[in-house]
Amino acid sequence: MGPPIHTVRVATCASILSGLFMMGAALAQPLGLPPVPVPADNPQTPEKIALGDKLFNDKRFSSTGEVSCATCHDPTKAFTDSPLVTSKGIKDLTGTRNAPTVINSAYFKLFFWDGRSLDMEDQAQHPIINPVEMGLLNHDPVLQIVRTDPDYVARFKKVFDKQGEQVTMKEVQQAIASFERTIVAGDSPFDRWHFGGDQTAVSEQAKRGFDVFLTKGRCVSCHTIEQDYALFTDNRFHNIGVGVNRIQKEIPQFAPAFLSAKAAGTDVDKAVLTNPKASELGRFAVTETLDEIGAFKTSTLRNVAVTAPFMHDGSLATLRDVVEHYNNGGITNPNDLVNDFLSGGIRPLNLTEDEMSDLVAFMESLTSPQFAAQKAASANPASCNVKTTVANSSPAAPASNSVSRGISAVALTESRNLPVSGGEGM
Amino acid sequence: MDIKYDRRSFIKTSTMSVGAAALPLTMVELAFAKPSDNFTFAYISDSHIQQIKGTQFVRNWDRGLIRAVAETNLLTPKPDFIMYGGDLAQMGNKPELDHGAEILSKLNGKVYHVMGEHDYYLDLGEYWSKLFGKQYYSFNHKGVHFVVLNSILTYDDWTFNRWPSAEQRMAEMAGLDNPNGSPFMVGDKQREWLKKDLAKVKKDTPIVVFSHSPLQKIYKGWNFWTEDAEQVQALLAPFDKVTVFYGHVHQIQYNQIGNIAFTSAMATAWPWPYPQSYAQAQQLLPKLTVQMNRADPFFERDATGWQFIDVNSGRASATFNLYNNTTRTVAFDPQAGHPKDKTYQDEDQRISPQVHY
Amino acid sequence: MKIASVIACAALALSVTGVASADEFTKEDLARWQEQFDGVVKQGRGLWTDSKLGTNGVVCAQCHPNAANTHPETYPKFQKQLGKVANFWEMVNWCIRNPLEGNQLAADDPKMIALISYATWERRGVKLEPGKH
Repeated sequence: MGPPIHTVRVATCASILSGLFMMGAALAQPLGLPPVPVPADNPQTPEKIALGDKLFNDKRFSSTGEVSCATCHDPTKAFTDSPLVTSKGIKDLTGTRNAPTVINSAYFKLFFWDGRSLDMEDQAQHPIINPVEMGLLNHDPVLQIVRTDPDYVARFKKVFDKQGEQVTMKEVQQAIASFERTIVAGDSPFDRWHFGGDQTAVSEQAKRGFDVFLTKGRCVSCHTIEQDYALFTDNRFHNIGVGVNRIQKEIPQFAPAFLSAKAAGTDVDKAVLTNPKASELGRFAVTETLDEIGAFKTSTLRNVAVTAPFMHDGSLATLRDVVEHYNNGGITNPNDLVNDFLSGGIRPLNLTEDEMSDLVAFMESLTSPQFAAQKAASANPASCNVKTTVANSSPAAPASNSVSRGISAVALTESRNLPVSGGEGM
Repeated sequence: MDIKYDRRSFIKTSTMSVGAAALPLTMVELAFAKPSDNFTFAYISDSHIQQIKGTQFVRNWDRGLIRAVAETNLLTPKPDFIMYGGDLAQMGNKPELDHGAEILSKLNGKVYHVMGEHDYYLDLGEYWSKLFGKQYYSFNHKGVHFVVLNSILTYDDWTFNRWPSAEQRMAEMAGLDNPNGSPFMVGDKQREWLKKDLAKVKKDTPIVVFSHSPLQKIYKGWNFWTEDAEQVQALLAPFDKVTVFYGHVHQIQYNQIGNIAFTSAMATAWPWPYPQSYAQAQQLLPKLTVQMNRADPFFERDATGWQFIDVNSGRASATFNLYNNTTRTVAFDPQAGHPKDKTYQDEDQRISPQVHY
Repeated sequence: MKIASVIACAALALSVTGVASADEFTKEDLARWQEQFDGVVKQGRGLWTDSKLGTNGVVCAQCHPNAANTHPETYPKFQKQLGKVANFWEMVNWCIRNPLEGNQLAADDPKMIALISYATWERRGVKLEPGKH
């Protein structure tokens, strides 16, 4: 399971996916999802998608040559780096945020946890120059590679009819976005039951959990479901008391100070990923509006069971932890202080033990078949007690890298032992 | 630490959507205005702290006031004072007033208070006065004459003779749509006091009046009404610049009657429907008003908020800080001669949530 | 043939005795039924201001004076808070469960029928616009 197989697996994924879609036409959507929005100025083509796939996996776009988009958005881990709490970039530098999945991100309207990026194309450029992600000082090294590497030269010519200086970051970003737009997954057991009418597709417990989701759990208003499809996100930003609770007492001093620094030229993308306090300001750091203090984007719940840990800071390890946080009314521990800027949609829920378990079972029914084989490592607490082994590590990657990544090496090993061989993982 | 914020730096840092407001700092310094004429204050109203039992209060309304206080405290530079617009309590009892006062005590700055009917009708303002002082008064601040009225009084007969108990009286007044209610008024005594008070004020001194009831006649069925509105307006008529701020309606309203610019306050607790959404009655919503966004009741803070008032050369602009929606600013437009919403006044600027009632 | 004539005979017989047939109703019937409906509307108004519908003292009338802004004439419609196209009574239940923190009612619960009767009555005369958000 070294890089060569990894690459092949991904390429297989891309070619399978791209083969499923008609050239240049609207993408066919899985059960439970609407058509993928594709901007008019960046239509999908199989070659563009394949180019984007290659760029997505290219570790040369980092200062150490070891980090690509796929490092934190790993196709074998539902396009996240589960079980990492917060992602690790070059030199294992830790940021402040948990890597969200690329799966179904095509349906978002704004990108990053705080929505600071206005479209998918724009998003792709930022991690490259972030000091704790890919660590380049600017995009020049990227352009150098795509303008001179023979394979890239040929591809950019084919896809965009551009070469040399004509190839800019715009084309790079468009290709990456095109690839990401193919990473969509619906057709989960829930979809087959709720939209497909198959009464046997989910367990009775999951059905009860869905009822909790719609009623006592008060989930549906942000994790939206509509008549014919379910995105499970309202594409809005809410303070649900994660992260911000830690800094709430300091907000009166810190918020104005942050704005002052911003007015003096501090870059928001760098600040929020390197400064834990700034990170907890959430979307306020971007829009400076009072009602977005501590607000973060509603995640989709699709495939949530395989993308642990949860929330923008990865602070909630299991789905049960998540449900308890909501049940407590926006505090993780019952004795925590509720922050003053809490969303009006969050309040204590008074769920019973059974209702909470049912809700978790419902969320587990949202895993699409192609990701069902992957498993969130933290879902199995027993794994933390098993002796550390470093089997199956990539021979080409430095040993220290594969051991130190992840909150427990065992968890990492466990995920690498999953039967993700051949094309089954996708 | 004071942040010096001028318009230019605001525009530079704020690259996001149009209408997003920064921490409401004074962004509208007019070049020609004397610095001493310009100041800001916060205006919070209608919290309706409601006791369920003992020390248990309705969480929803508590959170609304807590949020307003926390956000007001973030204002940089600090506003000169905070005006609390009335209806701090729901049923006017001591636990509610105490609980409300406790939340308000976190405010950094001097707080002035306006009487609301929900504060008044249990004990005719006795406990409220112990906490907050006079029920009507005036003061001067940086060249502006402020008047605070108790405009939720009503006919003596209803107040003193109609109901067998104080609790009953409060309960009857508490229902907005209660047919047993009675119209609000300022009353003879206060109008006399106002006349004497204003006699000492020069005609070119800007006047800002705080009242809980609208000092207009909008819809009698919900007491969006002041019975002696015309008489009060007449007392204010001789002055060049008059602004009236009022609470009670739990929605954005603004209007111009003669020389008086009227602007309402949002509630921190819950929004009320616009009067024309009641199909069975005739009413007059100020025509100028661009309605607040229709609320999504799931978000308990939707269509609630508080106001940041910027006084410039004696004219006021109100920025409605809406917790769940784009901030709205309504400012007196000297050319038009009346208040206008700075973004949405033109009909073709309106958005769905404003017209979709 | 035979059955029809039996029915015809019965009808004739009934009309002769002065009791209305199945599809006939009198002015007295109409007045009486209207009164019964009005009584249910009145009950609905009572519930609209009854703090026992929920558990936290909040009543419908606090946000919906005279049932304003409930828009019964727009149902059924897609209801965001319910995640599907739903009917008015389902949204009434949402309000009972959420702002009022109470227990929901069955669609045919007399209380639900009373609430709906009141809200719809306050909206009488407004044209139907099913599906309008």
